[in-house]
Amino acid sequence: MNFTLFDLKIIEYSFFITAILVIMIGLYGALVKKSLIKVVIGLSVFDSGINLLLISVGYITSGTAPIFSPALVKDMPLTLENIKKLSAGMVDPVPQALVLTAIVIGFGVTAVALSLVIRLYRHHQTLNIDEIKNLKW
Amino acid sequence: MKMKKILVISLLAVFGVYLTEALFKLDFGRQFFQQGVKDFYLVTTPMKLQVANVVTAIVVNFRGFDTLGEVTVLFLATTAMGSILYKGRHQLGERAVLFSGSRIVTTGSRLLFPAIILLGAYVFIHGHLTPGGGFQGGVIIATGFLLMLMAYADYSVSHIVLSVVESLAGITFATIGLLGMLHGGSFLQDFLPNGSLNDLLSGGIIPIIYIAVGFKVGAELTGLIYTALNEKD
Amino acid sequence: MVGSPVLFIAVPLLAAFLIPLLGMIWKESIRILPGLVLLYMLVLAVTLLGQVMHTGTIVEIIAGWKPPWGINLVFSPFTGVLATLMIGMGFIIWIYSYRFKNVDFEEAKKYFILFMMLVTGSVGIVLTGDIFNQFVFIEITSISAYALTAFYKHRDSAEASFKYLMIGSLSSMFLLLAIILIYSQLGTLNMADIASKAHLMKPEFKILAVIFFIVGLGIEAEIFPLNGWAPDAYAQAPGPVGAAFAGIVVKAGVYALIRIIFTLFDVSGTHQFLIVIGLTTLIISEMAAIRQERLKRMLAYSSLGQMGLVLVAFGIGTEEGIFAALFLLINHAIGKSLLFLSGSYLVYNSADKYINETNGMGKFLPITSFLFALGALAVVGMPPFSGFWGKFFMMSAAAHANMLLVIALILSVSLIELVYYFRVVNRIYFYKKESHIEPKKPTVNAVIAMVTLGVIILVIGFYPDVISGYLHQASQALLDKGKYIQDVLSTGQLLTH
Repeated sequence: MNFTLFDLKIIEYSFFITAILVIMIGLYGALVKKSLIKVVIGLSVFDSGINLLLISVGYITSGTAPIFSPALVKDMPLTLENIKKLSAGMVDPVPQALVLTAIVIGFGVTAVALSLVIRLYRHHQTLNIDEIKNLKW
Repeated sequence: MKMKKILVISLLAVFGVYLTEALFKLDFGRQFFQQGVKDFYLVTTPMKLQVANVVTAIVVNFRGFDTLGEVTVLFLATTAMGSILYKGRHQLGERAVLFSGSRIVTTGSRLLFPAIILLGAYVFIHGHLTPGGGFQGGVIIATGFLLMLMAYADYSVSHIVLSVVESLAGITFATIGLLGMLHGGSFLQDFLPNGSLNDLLSGGIIPIIYIAVGFKVGAELTGLIYTALNEKD
Repeated sequence: MVGSPVLFIAVPLLAAFLIPLLGMIWKESIRILPGLVLLYMLVLAVTLLGQVMHTGTIVEIIAGWKPPWGINLVFSPFTGVLATLMIGMGFIIWIYSYRFKNVDFEEAKKYFILFMMLVTGSVGIVLTGDIFNQFVFIEITSISAYALTAFYKHRDSAEASFKYLMIGSLSSMFLLLAIILIYSQLGTLNMADIASKAHLMKPEFKILAVIFFIVGLGIEAEIFPLNGWAPDAYAQAPGPVGAAFAGIVVKAGVYALIRIIFTLFDVSGTHQFLIVIGLTTLIISEMAAIRQERLKRMLAYSSLGQMGLVLVAFGIGTEEGIFAALFLLINHAIGKSLLFLSGSYLVYNSADKYINETNGMGKFLPITSFLFALGALAVVGMPPFSGFWGKFFMMSAAAHANMLLVIALILSVSLIELVYYFRVVNRIYFYKKESHIEPKKPTVNAVIAMVTLGVIILVIGFYPDVISGYLHQASQALLDKGKYIQDVLSTGQLLTH
C-alpha cells in the first residue's frame, strides 16, 4: 500500500486530535458527573489525555524508539558520527521520560482520590455528589 | 442542571478549539526548537554511559532526582491511603472479595504466579537494555499479587514484609545518591564503572537503582491493592 | 562547607523511608526522628543562608550534569530566605504537634511522615531550578496535604479533602500542559535556560503557557477563583496542619507563581495582572472573613486575604515592593500560624468551633489567649508588632509607585481585619463563659512552640533590622534576572569520568 503524504499527515495529526478529545471527555466527566467514582474516572481520563499529548509532542516523522539495541547498532563502531547518524532518526526521548513520571504521579493521586471516595461512602452511604453536602460546594 | 451541562460543554468546546488551534501550529512530527537538551542525551547515553535505552538513562541518570521524587510520591500515596482508611487497631474490615475462584482458576493462578513474577523481574533487570524498567516491572509484579488475591479468598500478604521491602528499597535509592556525593561528585552521581554497550552489567548505578525501584513499586502497589481489598465494613 | 542544598531533600526522604523500619524497633522514634531531621535542616539552612549572603548564590548540580542537562537546586538569597522560613515554621509546628492529640501509633506514624514530606516538598518547590522537577515537588506537597486534610475521621474532613484533591489535580494537569508547551517550543526544562531563550517562543504559545501556569500554580498560591477549597481544608484539617498550610504550603505556591512571572517570561501586563488578582482576592476574602461564624474558617479567609496582599506587593514590581512583600510573607507565616495554633486550643473541645464558644476563655487559658491576641495584632498590623512594618513598607512602596488606589484599598481592608479580629479578642476577654465546653490546657510543648512564635513577632516588631538586611538582598536577587541565568548556566564542569 502506498500512503500519500496527505494520508500520513492525517494519521499523525490524529494523535493531537485524539489527545484533545480524551482531555475533553475527561474534563466533562470530572465536572458534570454526579457519581464520585465517575468523577475520579474523569480525572484519570483527563490525565491520560495529557500524557498522550505529551508523548505526541516528542514524535518525529518516521522516527524509531530511542534505544541503541544490538539490531540497530549491528557492527558499527560507536563513533560520534555514527551515533549522530543513528540518533537523527530517533524520536525525542525526553517527553517519554516525563510521561513515565507523570503516569506514576497520576496513579498516586488516583489512589488517594479513591480512598477518599471510600471514606465518603463509609460516612454517607452514598456516592451521589448532591447528597454529600455538609460543606458548601 | 441542564444549564450546567450546556455551560460546561460550551466552555470545553471553546477550550478544545483554542488548544487544537494552538497545537496545530506546532507542526506535528517536526521538532520546533533548534538546540534542545535531547541531542546531548542521545549522543552521551551510548557514548559515555554505555546504556542502550536512552529513556532509561534520562529517567535514572540525567533526571534521577525526578525519579526519586516519583518514588516518594508512590510512597506517600500508600502512606496517605493507609492514613485515610485507617479505622483503629481492632477494627480491621473483612476482605471485600469473599468468594474464592474455582479449582481451575486457583490452580491456573498458582501456575501463572511465578511466571508473572519472573517476567516482572526480567523487565526491571533489563531496564537499561530494552523498553521497560523499574516502574513497569514493579507493576507487573503487583499484577501477579493481584491475581493471587482475586483467586484465593484467604490469600494474604504480610503488611510488615511489604513495609520492610518498601523502606529498604527507598533507603537503597537515597543511599546510592548520597554515596555519589561522598565519592566526590554530586548527589546521585554515577560512581560505578560503565561497562560496555548492551551488556547486562553496564550503565553504572542505573541497574541497581532500577532494581530497587522495581522492588519498591511492586511492594507499594501490592500494599495499595491489599489495603483497598480489605476495606469492607 | 557544612553541607549542600541537596541535603534539604535527600535527608528527609531517607528519614521518611527509615521511619517505618525504626518504628518497629522503637516506637517513640516516629515522633523524634522528624524533629531531628527538621532541626538539622534548620541549622543547615541558617548556615547556608549566612554563607550565601556573603559569597553569592549556591547552585547545586545533581547527578553530575551541568544545568541545561541535569536538574539543579538554586540556593540564592531569595530562595534561601523562603526555605529557611519554611523549615523554621516546620520545626516549630513539629514541636507543637509532638503530643497534639491522642492517636494510635499507626496514625501518628503516618502523620509525622506526611508532615515531614509536606515541609520537604515545599522546600523542594522553592529550591529547584527545573520546571518539571517543581511539578514533582508540587505533587509531593499536594498528596501530603490531601492526606493530612483528611486526617480526622470524625469530621467532614474527607469531603474537604476530596474538594481540595479535585481542584488540585485538575490544575496540576494544566501545569503539565504548560510544561508541554514550553518543552515543545524550547526543548529544555531548566528555568534559567528557559528564561534565556524565552524570546524564541512564539508569542501566542508564551501567553498560553503563562495562563496555564497561573491556573496550575494559583491553587497552591490560593488566588481568587481557585481558592474555593481553602477555607474547608483549613477548617477540617488538624490545627497544626492548618498552621502548616498558612505558614509553609501557600508560601511555596506564591514562590512558584512569582518565579514564573518574574524570571521565566516577560509578558507585558503580568504585573498589573498580579495587582488586580491580588486585590480581588484580598477584598473578596476579607468580606467573606467578616461574615464567618466559625473560628477556623474566619482565620482561613483572613489568610487568603493576606496572601492577596502579598501578591499586590509583588505586583508593584519595584525592589521596595518586593521587600515589603517578603516582609508581609514572613509576618503572615508567623502570625497566622500562631493564630491557628493558639486558636485550635481555644476551641479544642468544641465540635463546631463557633467563635462565640471562645467567650471568656481569657480567664481559663491565659497564655493561649494572650498569644492569640498577639498574633491577631501582628496580622492586623498594629504598630509595635511585626505586621506593622510589613504594611508600612508596602504603603511606602505603593506611594513611590504612584498607586494611591492601592493604598486606599489596603487601609480600608485593614480596618475590616481590625473589626473581625477585635470581635474575637473582645469575646475572649470581656464576655462571660456561657457554654459548658471544657477548656483544654495546652501541653508544655505546645506552649513552647507558641511562645517561640510570639517572641519572634515581638523581636521583629521592635527590631525589624534583624531580618531586613536579608530581605533586601533577597529582593535584589529576585529582580536581577540576568544574574540568576548567569549563575545557573555557568556552574559546574561536566562531571563525568
